[in-house]
Amino acid sequence: MPTLKQIAAVFFRVGNTTFGGGDPTIAVLEREFDRRGWITPEQFTLAYGLARVTPGTNVLAFAAGAAWLMAGIAGAVVAVLVITVPSAIVVVWLTRFCELGNTNRWAHAAIAGTVCAAIGTMLAAALNLARLQMLKTNLFSTVAVVFAAFVLAQTFAVSPIQILGLAAVGGLLFGAAKK
Amino acid sequence: MNIVIIYLLLLKATLTSFSGMSSLPVIRGDFVLHHHLLTDRDLNTAVAAGRLGPGPIGLYVVSVGYFAAGLPGACAGWLAMITPAFLIIPMLRFIGKRAEHPRVKSMIRMMLLASAGLLISASLPMARDAVTGVVTLAILVGSFVAIAFTRIDSIWIILGSAAAGLLSLVF
Repeated sequence: MPTLKQIAAVFFRVGNTTFGGGDPTIAVLEREFDRRGWITPEQFTLAYGLARVTPGTNVLAFAAGAAWLMAGIAGAVVAVLVITVPSAIVVVWLTRFCELGNTNRWAHAAIAGTVCAAIGTMLAAALNLARLQMLKTNLFSTVAVVFAAFVLAQTFAVSPIQILGLAAVGGLLFGAAKK
Repeated sequence: MNIVIIYLLLLKATLTSFSGMSSLPVIRGDFVLHHHLLTDRDLNTAVAAGRLGPGPIGLYVVSVGYFAAGLPGACAGWLAMITPAFLIIPMLRFIGKRAEHPRVKSMIRMMLLASAGLLISASLPMARDAVTGVVTLAILVGSFVAIAFTRIDSIWIILGSAAAGLLSLVF
């Protein structure tokens, strides 16, 4: 299990260097945990799914949940603090900067680059999640569920919470049928 | 306005939303329309500042607090943003104890696959905004390959992408 210092280091780096919001940050965190073997894919999924249904900012709930699984309450507090304090300071600074009406094209170009990297990370995280399940179930059902969630979100604008809820109910029923 | 009230108003918004920006209508109602602490322009600036910086999009709540009451307001916004996150712990404790049950296992597996679909779906609108030419497309594809098929530390991929973004201005 990781120490608080190790948890602080990973959450600090990922939380404060990933642009584009919660999903890319969670995707990068997932990869860093996976590389280090800190939580199992099942624990990751549980934290990810429950973070979606926790009020407030999903990525913070995910950080609190994942870090709690690794190191208890102290881990959760450390993770949330190191993710939010530096970026909150940056946001206050940016608010002043935006108020002045400044736009810096160099800063925008650098941020655009990291946003693209964040998108690449999200797609890789999706591949990774599906790949793990393919070993346990068959290819068809894996692709079918991923595709169904994608279409519901993309074409029918169903909210993530509703999609995860549907998946949860489907899983419960499917599990009962198999039993 | 009292800083505690600002905290409680922002907490009301974060506790009743389930993603970064869905607290916006509640915040607009309280801070712009009801209490006149912010103008619509301030609120847009707050949202832009939250999006420009690293970290969660929900950070714009800190910026709203800053507009409402300066640095103490920003601190109230920060507290209101992080408070609901800890609600996940009792939820994890409850479900975690039942994780070995076949139904729970099957539920987690389905949610995991749905999460993959959601990640792909969330990446599409972002890509539509962010991919503006060959360089940004190359950064996206390059980072996908590096993340999916190598074990390079993510920080190098992010820093390299920022550098590539800067190079695109030079060339």
